Amino acid sequence: MLNRVYLVSRQQIPVWLRIATFCLGIVTGLIGCTLILMIFGVPFREIVNEYVVFIFLDKSGFILTLTAFVPLALVGLAAAAAIKLNFWNIGIEGQMWMGTIAATWVATYDVGPENLRLLIMFFAAALAGSLWIGISAGLKLRYGVNEIITTLLLTYVAFLLVQNLLFGVWRDPSSGFPASPMYTPEIERLALVGWGRLHSGIWIAIAAGVIWWWIMSISRFGYLIDAVGANPLAAKAAGLPVIATVVVAAILSGGLAGVAGLVIVAGQEYRLTINIAEGFTFSAIVIAFVARFNPIGVLFAALMIAGIYTAGETLKVFYRLPNATVVLLESVILLSLLIVEFFSRYNIGIRKAEATP
Amino acid sequence: MSEFIFNWLVNTPVYATPLLLACLGLIVTARAGILNLGAEGMMAVGAFSGVVVVLSGQPLWLAVIVAMLAGALLAAVFGIATVFFRTDQVLTGLITVAMGLGVSGVMGHSFTHKPIQGFEGISMGWLSEIPWIGKIFFGQDLLVYATVLITLAVWWGVHRSLIGLRLRAVGEAPSTADSSGINVMRYRFSAVLIGGLLCGLAGGYLSLAAGQIWVEHMIAGRGWIAIALAIFARWRPFPAILGALIFGGTEAIIPRIQTLGGDIPVYFLLMLPYLLTLAVLIIPFVFVKGWKDDVPAGLLKTFVREERQ
Amino acid sequence: MDSHGVALELTKVSKQFDGRPALSDASLKVNWGEVHALLGENGAGKSTLMNVACGLYSPDQGTMAVSGVPVSISKPADAINHGIGMVHQHFKLVDRFSVSENILLACSETLGVSSVNDVAKVITEKSEHMGLEIDPYAVVGEISIAERQRVEILKMLLTGARILILDEPTAVLTDLESENVLTLIRRMAATDCAVILITHKLREVLQYSDRVTVMRTGRTILSQAQTSEMTREKLAKAMVGESAEQITSQSREMGADRYVIWDIKVRSPSGGVGVDGVSLHVRAGEIYGIAGVGGNGQPQLADALMGLMPIEEGHVFIDGKEISHLGVKALRDRGLRFIPSDRFGSGLIPDFKAYENYGITRILNNVYGSWIRVNRKRMKEDVNATIETYQILGCAAATKSRLLSGGNAQKLLLARELDSELSVLIAHSPTRGLDIYACNTVHGLIVKAANRGAACILISDDLEEILTLSNSVSVMSRGKISEKRPTRETTREKIGELMLGHA
Repeated sequence: MLNRVYLVSRQQIPVWLRIATFCLGIVTGLIGCTLILMIFGVPFREIVNEYVVFIFLDKSGFILTLTAFVPLALVGLAAAAAIKLNFWNIGIEGQMWMGTIAATWVATYDVGPENLRLLIMFFAAALAGSLWIGISAGLKLRYGVNEIITTLLLTYVAFLLVQNLLFGVWRDPSSGFPASPMYTPEIERLALVGWGRLHSGIWIAIAAGVIWWWIMSISRFGYLIDAVGANPLAAKAAGLPVIATVVVAAILSGGLAGVAGLVIVAGQEYRLTINIAEGFTFSAIVIAFVARFNPIGVLFAALMIAGIYTAGETLKVFYRLPNATVVLLESVILLSLLIVEFFSRYNIGIRKAEATP
Repeated sequence: MSEFIFNWLVNTPVYATPLLLACLGLIVTARAGILNLGAEGMMAVGAFSGVVVVLSGQPLWLAVIVAMLAGALLAAVFGIATVFFRTDQVLTGLITVAMGLGVSGVMGHSFTHKPIQGFEGISMGWLSEIPWIGKIFFGQDLLVYATVLITLAVWWGVHRSLIGLRLRAVGEAPSTADSSGINVMRYRFSAVLIGGLLCGLAGGYLSLAAGQIWVEHMIAGRGWIAIALAIFARWRPFPAILGALIFGGTEAIIPRIQTLGGDIPVYFLLMLPYLLTLAVLIIPFVFVKGWKDDVPAGLLKTFVREERQ
Repeated sequence: MDSHGVALELTKVSKQFDGRPALSDASLKVNWGEVHALLGENGAGKSTLMNVACGLYSPDQGTMAVSGVPVSISKPADAINHGIGMVHQHFKLVDRFSVSENILLACSETLGVSSVNDVAKVITEKSEHMGLEIDPYAVVGEISIAERQRVEILKMLLTGARILILDEPTAVLTDLESENVLTLIRRMAATDCAVILITHKLREVLQYSDRVTVMRTGRTILSQAQTSEMTREKLAKAMVGESAEQITSQSREMGADRYVIWDIKVRSPSGGVGVDGVSLHVRAGEIYGIAGVGGNGQPQLADALMGLMPIEEGHVFIDGKEISHLGVKALRDRGLRFIPSDRFGSGLIPDFKAYENYGITRILNNVYGSWIRVNRKRMKEDVNATIETYQILGCAAATKSRLLSGGNAQKLLLARELDSELSVLIAHSPTRGLDIYACNTVHGLIVKAANRGAACILISDDLEEILTLSNSVSVMSRGKISEKRPTRETTREKIGELMLGHA
């Protein structure tokens, strides 16, 4: 049977088919997630309760979702910015770590005047993230070293650096836990917006989304990114600055990841701890691909993943499901989306069975 | 000092073996034109499932087989997606990592931090009694010796046999292989499964022989190091042995230095394997003129027979 | 075997690619012992029909019979089992493998061997006998195109194929090499094989085939005609319909030297032939043809002149000003324009819309908005005007470029490149894969550009093209070029000799 199937690439995919396969992919993914949770003993009613009612319709739940949304939106944009140019930044966690280190360094040693402290922390975090990805970008463009491996390995290095600091010079003397001293209130913390624990990082996230939308849809740089991402050779032959485009986009990506680190330490935790960045790289990639790199789409996809995070946190408490659940659910959604896409990318033909003599 | 070096050399194979096994799996897969970045995930499910078998009172050999099958099962998911549904190999590889870490993290939750009785070094009679050399060469565990045989088998299979010739043709030029009557999809999927078996075994080695315990995050990037190793070895089995020994040696020296005591910052020591990996990726490009990484020409390319030229 | 029985018959074969018909009721009937020419323009469906015969494409409709027995061929292995072999235009060889390994890959079963050394022995034994001498241990990526073709033919014969299909076997060969291959084909037919020769060259049909089938736009126009009863004119008419008007390059006023290249060297990244000391000068309004068999350094020369590859040594001048080390953008600002050989590789971006591809070369010059905002409206207006002027069919401003046919995509590319600021044009195989109408349009546009005073370099392996268009001609061989000669004072034969590197 399988031998009779043949494929022909579709040159133009009709819009309705795109939408249909996208919806089907998301739906099958969510069904898959539900089944997995049920296998782990969560009753169906509870799943609906947690995943629909609590995270989006309950006020306290929605606040938690929005809080989780802030860094997720930023890393989603970070992934979209780089991967759009075929620069696989899978070191987002590493860049987040470097961002948090830089921000904590500014906070701990009281760098700069107090009224500018947060701004300095912001730029320090962005710069640290940019420099960290800059190593991989430089190696790729200069020597052709694969950025997938280098960004990822540098994540481990960054994490060990954080551990070195938290188990060393920055260990909180008051508690002895591997956590930095608390940031000074007001001066080094992002202000709350007056809705539970939701902080003003949400404006940063939304602004980043809107700015990225402007860059991609209106500005000239977005045009360059599109061209270089689609066909670097033709872009070069047309006289476009291919290398500069990749470098700038990679640096923006690293910077966004650094800022994502900042909003967690300055908005949620008020200090640096060792379980801040875990799992963000993969979430970022899921968000970027679910959103098809569309900047506004990234915001919505980040909200969806934030819901999964928030519900995961509560299920963790009541059903003793470990952290890894979230990653598993995300991977099921993305895989289902990718597989279903097959049906829109190819025309599937079945050869007629003929009498073979 | 000689004590230090002896202990270091004795322990090197223990660290080198899982890297070599995973690297061999990646080589077989890549030779068919598929890059499976999911090594980290496949190693995780291998490590976890092996321990589960032992903890439920089954024999070690069964644990090894289950670890391999678990790796192959996850590889099958990757293979079905990339080979049959033509999904992007890089992205699907990342998904495979996430699935492997997710499944092993969720299901392995209740098996974590429970020491097991795993593989121990064997004794080969008087051979193992030879001072120095005995322990290092004839006192390792069985899986280390099995890995040597597997390396030879992979080399012969990929580079000497007729099936290996076809496999490499599929990886270099799928449409050429196809027009010679070779079933490209079957070869690619089989190569992915073999890669899964070997990565599962690599993970199983980590939990059943090296660590004798299951802990979440115990793979700690070794899957990625194995990928770098395969690039460094230019997708050939014998250079992979050399690479694995260098890496194994580096990893093995870390606990040795720690036992020496003193004021060595432990986290910087732990960075060594990752920094070394970065170094071996970069050095050839910087210092060897005209260095080519020699990837199979069809790697990462989706094959559709009726693609119009 | 009955030497006049039917070997292969394809009846009413139809095939669509994603809704676009490639074959409509095409039929072909080939007898044993004959060379059957399958004649047609680029894009007429010849290769598609033969790919159906060898199991690569699945037809939507139609039947197939071998030796009068209906067969179903759904994969290449089926075709091999029925004795059908094909030498594709783009060879199906593994470049990193040796000749023996390539043969072993395809023929281990039919030859009953499984080791490289055994195959090498078979090759040495049989290749001489067949007139296909080849070193069995040579690596395919390092041997010449003609030798690769020999490997392909040998491979086909060793799989036991007796219905032999050769897709444009002479397209990449010099005249002398072509003659050898065509003679070999005749010999193979004489041993009771059936040979199908896919070609668009009338000369080959008339000289070497017994019968001919002509295809046009996916249909069979003329079936199984005796070649002896055919004339050049009849075939040409069947092939292209009403005879298309040939473009000729009229004599025109030529100015001073505009583009001068002084002893440049370019290294080939793959380690093959690069450019090894090329000097030339092109006058304003001159079309300078560089002929030569592919793979003699032409891609490196073209890429280097376009600024895509560094020039290791030597100098390049436009109007007396040195430009050797400028990047693509700076070269473009000085009026250099390119038509690359691969129009969707380094020419157009397939996933870009027509207007985006049109505006891309001038986006940095503030023609279409600023860094803050790209003026897409203006781009669309400009491209709409262009589509009208150049008569680019099936193209709206927002049509994705990869949906355009080869000819229309090339028109879009030329419309972009041949703008008012053009001073030097580098064209590399500008009509590759185009049908005759598109060819003529492209040729006409290049001549027009020269008439406006541009210095044009035309690099091509199509000798006809060079002879029709260019004012002067050189031959490129092993990274060097021959002395510049006026086209009027040279002949096909002379150029052929130069191509072989004899002169």
